[in-house]
Amino acid sequence: MKKILAVSIIVFLLFVSGFWTKNVCAQDTQSGKTAMSDMLLAYYYPQTDAKSEISMRIVNRQGQVRERRLTMLRLNQTPGGDQSYYIYFHEPADVKGMSFLVLKHLGRDDDRWMYLPAIDLVKRIATSDKRTSFAGSDFTYEDVSGRALDEDAHELIGEEDLNIYHCLVVKSTPKRPDEAGFSYRKFWIDKATHLPLKVEHYNIKGKLYKVYETQDIQTLQDTPTITKATMKDLAGERYTEITMKEVSYNVGITSDIFQERLLRRPPRQWIGD
Amino acid sequence: MLSKVCSFIIIAFILAISISDVSFAESASINSEKIGNIPQDERKSPDAWAKIFDSVHGFIETAYGPKFLGDKLTQKNDYNLLEQRLQLKVAYRPQKPAWLASWNPEFFYKGDLLSDEYKEILRYQTREGYGLVSPLSWMDAKLGRQILTWGTGDYLFINDVFPKDYESFFIGRDDEYLKAPSDAGKFSIYSQLVSVDVVVIPFFTPDVSIRGDRLSFYDNFLGRIAGKESSWIFTEPAVQFENTEIATRLYRNLGEYETAIYAFKGFFNQPVGIKNESAKEVFYPKLAVFGASIRGPAPSVGGIASGEIGYSDSLQDRSGENRLIENSGMKYLLGYERDFPKDWRIGMQYFVEQMLNFDEFKANSQPGDIPRDEFRQLLTFRITKLFWLQTLEASLFTFYSPTDSDAYIRPRLAWQANDRWKLTVGANIFFGKHDWTEFDQLEGNDNFYIRLRYSF
Repeated sequence: MKKILAVSIIVFLLFVSGFWTKNVCAQDTQSGKTAMSDMLLAYYYPQTDAKSEISMRIVNRQGQVRERRLTMLRLNQTPGGDQSYYIYFHEPADVKGMSFLVLKHLGRDDDRWMYLPAIDLVKRIATSDKRTSFAGSDFTYEDVSGRALDEDAHELIGEEDLNIYHCLVVKSTPKRPDEAGFSYRKFWIDKATHLPLKVEHYNIKGKLYKVYETQDIQTLQDTPTITKATMKDLAGERYTEITMKEVSYNVGITSDIFQERLLRRPPRQWIGD
Repeated sequence: MLSKVCSFIIIAFILAISISDVSFAESASINSEKIGNIPQDERKSPDAWAKIFDSVHGFIETAYGPKFLGDKLTQKNDYNLLEQRLQLKVAYRPQKPAWLASWNPEFFYKGDLLSDEYKEILRYQTREGYGLVSPLSWMDAKLGRQILTWGTGDYLFINDVFPKDYESFFIGRDDEYLKAPSDAGKFSIYSQLVSVDVVVIPFFTPDVSIRGDRLSFYDNFLGRIAGKESSWIFTEPAVQFENTEIATRLYRNLGEYETAIYAFKGFFNQPVGIKNESAKEVFYPKLAVFGASIRGPAPSVGGIASGEIGYSDSLQDRSGENRLIENSGMKYLLGYERDFPKDWRIGMQYFVEQMLNFDEFKANSQPGDIPRDEFRQLLTFRITKLFWLQTLEASLFTFYSPTDSDAYIRPRLAWQANDRWKLTVGANIFFGKHDWTEFDQLEGNDNFYIRLRYSF
């Protein structure tokens, strides 16, 4: 009888402690917002600066492939805050030499410029709509540069294993869905690296329409880095595959270079030919 | 005959390129399989050739622009655009000698071989050919033939005093050809406080004028629309030290706003001076321009707003009393552009050209002179929509002048079939009331055009 009592007390304590631990996690370290904040930092802000050589394959319904090759420079102005981007197109031939300068601001529209070398034109681009496709791909500008943490409400809805990765599943609902153009997104965030492994986009009607999937993660300069990913458009039966050919962190990019000169005189030390 | 030969050469070239593309791809895959068996030095030379071949880019394009109905005044009656073009460009960045390499040098060359069946000539033009160096970390110097652009206008120019090719613009060539190259030195100094560009142009280049051979226009000597019978004599400023043109721009960002001030001393790019009326001899009078511009996000409504202003000082007719030389003037421009969901984009501009010393102009005008308004107003409207994952662009650009009562519309469809082939169709349509206004004088040149381009 005593034994039964003792066992039941132990079981009860274990149960309670397990429950208690889990609860603490949900409220504090692993709440949806924290998970999302960690993800944003790991995905969009790793290290202070980065240089990436990116290839994109855009495959349409008929299986026709378009390819883009570009170099991207990124500098964090403040951790988790404003960022500067420079994007230089190497391929295809008709856009070779075209470049973009983007000053990303939290809380207001980004400043974006485009340079067309054939007519030596520096053009300011309106950026009200962040859902515009990035370079004709299935990624939008928002996918490439991220939504601000406060634009959505983040709810931790569970945990799930994807392959070998233990993931937190977070549902992010825009505070202004009409403006955002979708009803919610579901993120599978790797607990170890905080990188997103899968993102499901649900349209205004609540139907799944776009799926992002990470294909490969490599640790470069001690930084877990997504080196291959796809974005599938389910209705259009299209997808875009993005591959990071080369990523280097802390290459010495300084904030003073993000000016008009960068567009007219591409920084060959980083982008090569 | 000659142009046919040229077309064949160009077509042969494009075939050669597309075939060699394939063979390169094949040889690469063979190499990678057999790589273990081939000695190091044997693999070197094809790589070197491939590298040279890889560094040359460009396009080949064929274009045809039939006229709608139009007048029968020009060299060819049925069309005003029929040509094949080969453009090649190459960049070279030497790594030695060390002193030069430390200047981060870049040499760039871009040339066009044009088989122009309208003019029945084969023409080679160097579009760009320059060296660019940074002797100091905060300084660039770009010397040679180059395209120069600044200012905030969309197809409208106030402080961009560099040469334009309106003939290309009106017949439907690519936008690239609206800008004509200058032989110049451009020196740029960068600092956080203010950055400076100084452009020195020792060899004057005028706009490509409309002369009646390809586009009919209002010939004020004849007092009517004229074509190939128009016979003006154009006198350009002599190449001498004191005729060197200088254009400067000082610019900096104030928060998210880009601001700039400009100054220029040189010549009008259009022959707006008459040297000898009976001989129909025209010239390019001396000109100074001072201006300013600002561009940045429009408060509260979103989008990009811009404003630009310029004072044109007609140095050879400052009083405005000489009816043979263009008066001084003020130009004002307001612009607004914004994007909307689903790849819609609109742009609007309001442009005013004010003639200074207007009373003198009126007092000195003679019967037969082109009537002018003190304030010429121009509105432009651009609407663009992208389809098919941004591979098809539909756009419409409209110029409309309420004071001149004329208009010019440029509809265009551009389809990027794949990474190499692009098909563009469009039209240039002019409307108006009076033969002598800027757009109505071109009414007989309405055309439709089609261009097919292969980029490599």
